[in-house]
Amino acid sequence: MPSLTAATRTVRSAWRSVFRVGWPRTDKDRTAAMISSFFLHVHSAKVKKHSLRASYTLGLGLISFYLLLVLVVTGVALMLYYTPHPPEAYRSMKDLQFVVTFGPVLRNMHRWAAHAMVLVVFLHMCRVFFTGGYKTPRRFNWVVGVVLFLLTLGLSFTGYLLPWDQLSFWAITVGSNIASYAPWIGDDLKYLMLGGHVIGSGALLRFYVLHCVVLPGAAMTLVAVHFFRVRKDGLSAPPQPEPSAIVEAAPGRFPASTRSYGLMALTDRPAQPVVESDPEDDEVLSWPHLLYRELLLLLAVLVVLHVVALVFNAPLEEIANATITPNPAKAPWYFLGLQELVHYSAFVGGVLVPGVIVLALVLIPYLDPKPRGVGVWFARERRWANWTFGAFAIVAVVLTIVGTFFRGPNWAWVWPWMR
Amino acid sequence: MRTPQTAPSRMHLAFAVLGLAFLGIFSWVFMQEFFAEWRTTQAQFRAIEGQVKDPHALSLAPPADGIRQIWLRDIDRVDRCTTCHLGVDDDAFVKAPQPFTTHSGTWLKTHPPDRFGCTVCHGGQGEATDYRDAAHQPIPHWSDPIRPRELIEANCGTCHREREPKEAFLLAAGRARIAEAGCIACHDLPGFSLDEVQAPRLESVGYKVRPDWLRKWLADPKAYLPQARMPNFRLEPDEIQDLTAFLLSQRQTTPLDASGVDWSKADADHGRAVFGEARCVSCHMIDGRGGTLGPELTTVGSKVRRDWLYSFLEDPMHDQPDTRMLRYRLADNDIRDLVAYLTEDLVDPDAATTPPAVGFLDPKQVEAGKQTFIKHGCFSCHRFGNLASTAKIGPSLMAIGDRTVEPSDFRGESADPTLENYLYLKLREPDKLAEDSRMPTFNFTEQEAATVVVALLSTRKADLPASRVTDAPAPKPYRPQGAFGALVSRYRCLSCHQVNGWGGTLSTVPLDRIGSQLQYAHIVAYLQQPYAIRVSVEARMPHFGMTADEARTIADYFSSVFVDDALEKPFAPAPDAARRGAALYTKLGCRGCHIIGQTGGYVGPDLSDTGHRLKPGWIQAWLAAPEKWKPGTLQPDYGLKPEEVQDLTAYLMTLSRTAAGRTP
Repeated sequence: MPSLTAATRTVRSAWRSVFRVGWPRTDKDRTAAMISSFFLHVHSAKVKKHSLRASYTLGLGLISFYLLLVLVVTGVALMLYYTPHPPEAYRSMKDLQFVVTFGPVLRNMHRWAAHAMVLVVFLHMCRVFFTGGYKTPRRFNWVVGVVLFLLTLGLSFTGYLLPWDQLSFWAITVGSNIASYAPWIGDDLKYLMLGGHVIGSGALLRFYVLHCVVLPGAAMTLVAVHFFRVRKDGLSAPPQPEPSAIVEAAPGRFPASTRSYGLMALTDRPAQPVVESDPEDDEVLSWPHLLYRELLLLLAVLVVLHVVALVFNAPLEEIANATITPNPAKAPWYFLGLQELVHYSAFVGGVLVPGVIVLALVLIPYLDPKPRGVGVWFARERRWANWTFGAFAIVAVVLTIVGTFFRGPNWAWVWPWMR
Repeated sequence: MRTPQTAPSRMHLAFAVLGLAFLGIFSWVFMQEFFAEWRTTQAQFRAIEGQVKDPHALSLAPPADGIRQIWLRDIDRVDRCTTCHLGVDDDAFVKAPQPFTTHSGTWLKTHPPDRFGCTVCHGGQGEATDYRDAAHQPIPHWSDPIRPRELIEANCGTCHREREPKEAFLLAAGRARIAEAGCIACHDLPGFSLDEVQAPRLESVGYKVRPDWLRKWLADPKAYLPQARMPNFRLEPDEIQDLTAFLLSQRQTTPLDASGVDWSKADADHGRAVFGEARCVSCHMIDGRGGTLGPELTTVGSKVRRDWLYSFLEDPMHDQPDTRMLRYRLADNDIRDLVAYLTEDLVDPDAATTPPAVGFLDPKQVEAGKQTFIKHGCFSCHRFGNLASTAKIGPSLMAIGDRTVEPSDFRGESADPTLENYLYLKLREPDKLAEDSRMPTFNFTEQEAATVVVALLSTRKADLPASRVTDAPAPKPYRPQGAFGALVSRYRCLSCHQVNGWGGTLSTVPLDRIGSQLQYAHIVAYLQQPYAIRVSVEARMPHFGMTADEARTIADYFSSVFVDDALEKPFAPAPDAARRGAALYTKLGCRGCHIIGQTGGYVGPDLSDTGHRLKPGWIQAWLAAPEKWKPGTLQPDYGLKPEEVQDLTAYLMTLSRTAAGRTP
């Protein structure tokens, strides 16, 4: 028996070497668990009840992150079967569909998660705007978020070409043509993007490398930055903070994080001058309240994705054929609003509107820095800002819907039920 | 120390629900994989295999467990059909249900699966592993579904480019129809040649036809003649007027002078006799009887002008250099009587008796008619001065089988938007599928249109490796020179006969080795006075009126050029060979088809004069292997021994007109 005891002890000590705190049973342990784990310490030890309210954040940021995770996992699996060269690229799709074990589910899930991510990131951005979340001290993080939104579009767009079917070929043809409407550099931009004047094996390889290496790397890095700022600035903006409490890093001084809980919350050490006017009761420990919610949300996302992936097959049309142009040739759905505008004016839809929108999005926190009406949906103080943003968002959505469902051959108006 | 914070119980409930849901959905993923259609199909096959095979055979068979595929490396195609169609190459499954049934016919022997796979012939999506995606029925986004039986020959034709592929009857019929309809005149189509398009030259048509006939003809050629080769261009009445004016203004070559002919002495009855003697019916049809090589003549008297016809019969090549009509050596009076017969007896009772004189035409209308002529692409078939070099008027059909059609192409016609339906409708009613279509109406029957669709569908992108394509070599034009060449041209031998595959198909006797088949004296005599060797065949050699010198020129050429040394062996039969041969002739029942003297059947050639007609080397070669010389011949191959062939030949060589009465 001594050997058994010794073995047990060894196993337990090995276990402790990985999970130093063990299963936390006290609040102190729970705090320690959050801090001692590399993966968990992205959370603060305590969170405001406010930010746990599903009706406040809708979990959209987290869903985006989960979708990104799913995309990375399924994407790596798909890479094992994919050859980024025509026509084998298309053949890979057929193999995935017909002979690779779990191939259809993998591909479907990757496809639908990608579409969902574009939508969810957009909704997340809307949520942050309508709750005034972009205001000091989260101004820069909004900018990071805008860039992440663009990266999401880029990832989705580059992935769109990889199946090398008619749908992808012509969507990218339309999409890259929109890029070529940029003044002066348009054609060069398109050439750079496609590695040629037309979409061929060079373009496919470029899109593949962008899709699998460059853009995911950039997105991961920026997601880390985004999270770091969230961690430093608090999970979400609290309602109505005192204007005086809003502090950003002053030159030469270590930034006093507003939401940087440490063990100090539970120890006798004198607390740092935490700028905090809420009563302590407003906070709960991240373990279990935040983690549990995260777990439930993950499960929900996975269940929904699986159901969608099992019920709906990812589209795959005929092999790409430059000589047969579908009518209409449509860009990926998230660019159909732009294509709709391009239909009226190439410059307006291809250059002016997207350029102005991106610029405006980046500048929003700097044009509207006053921390009024933060932390609640549709605050009265910000109704003009909300109206303006809301109007743009609705126009974008309407244009996209029109482009997707109401446009037929030659971009003529078609009622969806008349097709 | 405060009480540890715990999660509310509703979250535990949510976890339980979501966790179970996730487990459920994840096992669904596994189920979907392990109860895949092809796996359950293979399980069914294993059950059937156990019933139809004995244990030993069963142990030798490769296990039906896993995806099977055939990779056709040269065309980079993967067919996984045999994953489910597990019994195709195994005779044990003849009675098994689909998908396990043995493949029908001998197709897998002529097209071994490891070289041809499945979809090359059948169509469908070979990479798929389930019924629907294999495109057994048409599915979206797969342009090449499995061809139904009535269209499958289109896939034969993708590799088999020859005009008449074996055992692909619809395809061969379709290609023949395309050649006959002259599609190549307006469309580019691989495998067809502009030389096949036959239409009279119109540079001098103003002298030829009567205006009222021309108007009727232009309005609807089939109304004049149901089997007319020219399609209906659906011309407007004013277009017909203009076109008529334009055509009547075409008078480039003045006809040969007929002013000296005394028509009052013409004898139509004698003309009818000349018509019969010259065997005009071999090529021309009257009242539904006769050949189709030349124009139908039932009402030719109401179509052409008398003077032109006289000139044409004097020398057909005078204004129709490409005509297939030969130049008879007839006396002027015979021609006069023949013309009288044609123009007086063969008339449409409703038509005007005398045509207006060739006269003035409004230049504006002539010009408008020229534009109409160009607009409708008439020059495509009727080669016409410098208009002939204009580009083809119709779209190229080089890869028509790969074309995709949209529902909008059907312009409201109710049909599944498939290429075959589109082509079928286009062929039957060209005006329905396009605004102001210039494609004429051919009046294809349903059956004809269907075969043409098959032939068109077989015309696909030329990206097949050469090793997969079969084609008949194009015949080389044969244009003999010199005195012989002049005679071949005058008597238009190649309108009916072939040399090296070049020429007409009316005659079943190619001339390639005719000098080794026929005796010199027979050739000379026969050319001057042709007679029916096979009395049951309606198309006969015309009576040219050839002179003895001409006949000898031809016979000399035949006997020195169109020879086959293999047939020119000395023949020295044993003394009693002829007697044995005669017995053999009776025994084999040759008289069932061949005539000797007064008795025998009418299917094969009359053998009465064989001893003066044929060369013995040829008779032997023919009897030994008839199929070799004439594929599809009715002559049976009796599998005769060489000595039997010799005996029979010896007997046949004894036959002559004079001796025919007394068969030994």
